[in-house]
Amino acid sequence: MLNDYNDVLQKLCHHLKQLAGPEVEITPQTDLINELAIDSVKLLNLIMEIEDEFDISVPINALADVQTVHELANLIHRIRSQKQ
Amino acid sequence: MTSTINLEGKTLSSTIAKLNAPLTQAFNPQLSSEQPAAAIPTPTYNTQAQRLADFDTLIAALEYAAAGTAGYNFYDAKGNLRSVLPYQALRQNAQTAARQLLGLGLARGDRVAIIADTTPEFVEIFYACRYAGLVPYAMPVPVNLGSHAVYVRQLRGMLEAGQASAALANVDYVGFLKEAAEESQHLRWVGTPEQLGELPALTTELAPNSPDEIAYLQFTSGSTRMPRGVVITEGALMSNLQGIVRHGLNIRAGDRCASWLPFYHDMGLVGMVMAPMVAQVSVDYLATRDFAIRPLQWLRLISRNRATVAFSQPFGLKLCTLRVRDSDLEDLDLSSWRAAGVGAEMIRPDTLRNFAEKFAPAGFDARAFLPCYGLAESTLAVTFSEVGQGFQSLRVDAATLVDRKMAVRLQVEGRKYSEFVNCGRALPEHIVKVVDEAGQQLPDLRVGSVLVQGSSIMTGYFNNPEDTCKTLKPGNWLDTGDLGFLFEGDLYITGRRTDVIIVNGRNIRAQDIEELAEQQPEVRTREASAFGVTDANDVTTIVLVIECRLTSITDRQSLTSRLQRLVYMAFGVNCLVELVPPHTLPRTSSGKLSRFAARQGFIQRTQMTDQLSAESGDK
Repeated sequence: MLNDYNDVLQKLCHHLKQLAGPEVEITPQTDLINELAIDSVKLLNLIMEIEDEFDISVPINALADVQTVHELANLIHRIRSQKQ
Repeated sequence: MTSTINLEGKTLSSTIAKLNAPLTQAFNPQLSSEQPAAAIPTPTYNTQAQRLADFDTLIAALEYAAAGTAGYNFYDAKGNLRSVLPYQALRQNAQTAARQLLGLGLARGDRVAIIADTTPEFVEIFYACRYAGLVPYAMPVPVNLGSHAVYVRQLRGMLEAGQASAALANVDYVGFLKEAAEESQHLRWVGTPEQLGELPALTTELAPNSPDEIAYLQFTSGSTRMPRGVVITEGALMSNLQGIVRHGLNIRAGDRCASWLPFYHDMGLVGMVMAPMVAQVSVDYLATRDFAIRPLQWLRLISRNRATVAFSQPFGLKLCTLRVRDSDLEDLDLSSWRAAGVGAEMIRPDTLRNFAEKFAPAGFDARAFLPCYGLAESTLAVTFSEVGQGFQSLRVDAATLVDRKMAVRLQVEGRKYSEFVNCGRALPEHIVKVVDEAGQQLPDLRVGSVLVQGSSIMTGYFNNPEDTCKTLKPGNWLDTGDLGFLFEGDLYITGRRTDVIIVNGRNIRAQDIEELAEQQPEVRTREASAFGVTDANDVTTIVLVIECRLTSITDRQSLTSRLQRLVYMAFGVNCLVELVPPHTLPRTSSGKLSRFAARQGFIQRTQMTDQLSAESGDK
């Protein structure tokens, strides 16, 4: 299960890099709002990419408790585990 | 590049169906979320004679529609039909829920707050309230990252402002609702529609409604300490609905609607939930979230079900233009779409042109564009352009517009111009006028405040005489807060007065942002000013100017990033924070900050001279 989380984190960082630009360093503690400036339109693109990449659907109510890269990776990981 | 949704394959999981539609499945036990739904949507052609909103009340309209075969259809993110709610079943379920609501001990006229996800249950509870003589109001779903605390505060504000006696949300949102309800004085019951369904129902007769009683409240501003609930009576509602379906849309047999608009928005609720029902027309719904992530799904719904009427904010059209790929156009046939209503925010001609150009290969006819103008304070619609004629616009000299607040039609090519979309004429029983700052009526082509008078105007803001008095002028003229001019009887909107900033289709009150700033220990009251600036690409950015005494760079940075974060969490948008020395912000004689002057000052400091457009025409 930990492998899956790491896998999710790695793929997620890849997508975030495309949004934020290559010069931005992304760690699990990176704040999506403050440091990556994910506005609502970028967020939609990100969710679409996540849903396609991980074959999941991200419930909108869960995003209210997501602020960092780790929290988002964890959410994706949880949804994936529930599926299996 | 990622792949887009594949209807037949399994590129998307059904988790969303599980998480977002548990109650739907409770009503449709035969639907397994793993299999495409086998049910068929309600038909386009009805079995009953069409009556166009000639009813006294909403419930009278539903009683009639229930005798036919039309209804509401709910689609999931994959484009599968998840739930069908014919008006007949809606009537039945709403009556049952009405008796259960009355069983809670609620009295006629009590308010019921409902978090309005795009589900059959929301619609059932909404109509149930009217059957029970209760006053429903819709509350939004959370949309922003990390917005938990802000969202709960927003709900609490709405529960208080509407003095709700009961509040409902589906399982996804009921947790937020319960948190918000913790300290409530008025609430007698909080739960899910499912829990309501388990309660005993009163067997009493449901008393009919009268045209002068309150039909519902509509909250207009998303996030604010004291949100305002617009009070709409049955009479105002039915007048506006009749104007929309007859005068605005010329609804006829064969019409079908498709909508992604949120049910907590007036255009979604009045325009795409109530208006189709009062004309016995079927509607196909896509959740707003699903549209936002994959706008193509909305167009597919129109194409597949041969929808004729579908509305959007300009921002929604932009999303389609930006995010639908050319390779997706092959499977689309948008030729049935005869009324592409556009409204709810200022319409830029280029947004429409780009959309038309992109989707012409898919059969979209630009004559379908139907610009309209309206606001919740006038139920929904105020003006409609002529259906089937496409959009018309006027190019006016930009300099004269700014300097003299006059729209002078462009005579010579090459001069800088502003182009405005014709929003059409007022609905029957309504008058639109444009006035100057002294309230004097202005002639054609002079820019001023847009005022409306007529049968669908609100009675006021709920429990808020102060704001009501500011907005409803003598003679029951509604001050819309918008700027514009009239020309040959048609209305052209040139901008919004500076108290509201529209970003990505969302209305954000400048005051709300300023209050957020003033809650910081470093910021004093009346030392923050918020406004929007729009660049040449039509992208609006929120600017927050703060008078700041901090000297250390670290402190200043900390304040700046904290403010940006707070604004993001509350409104989902980025903002630009400028710290200026004390006494920089211009004030009026009464000591009030002038946002207009603050905006001009900012533009001068940053030399964004393009910004001095007619949008900022007030003081």
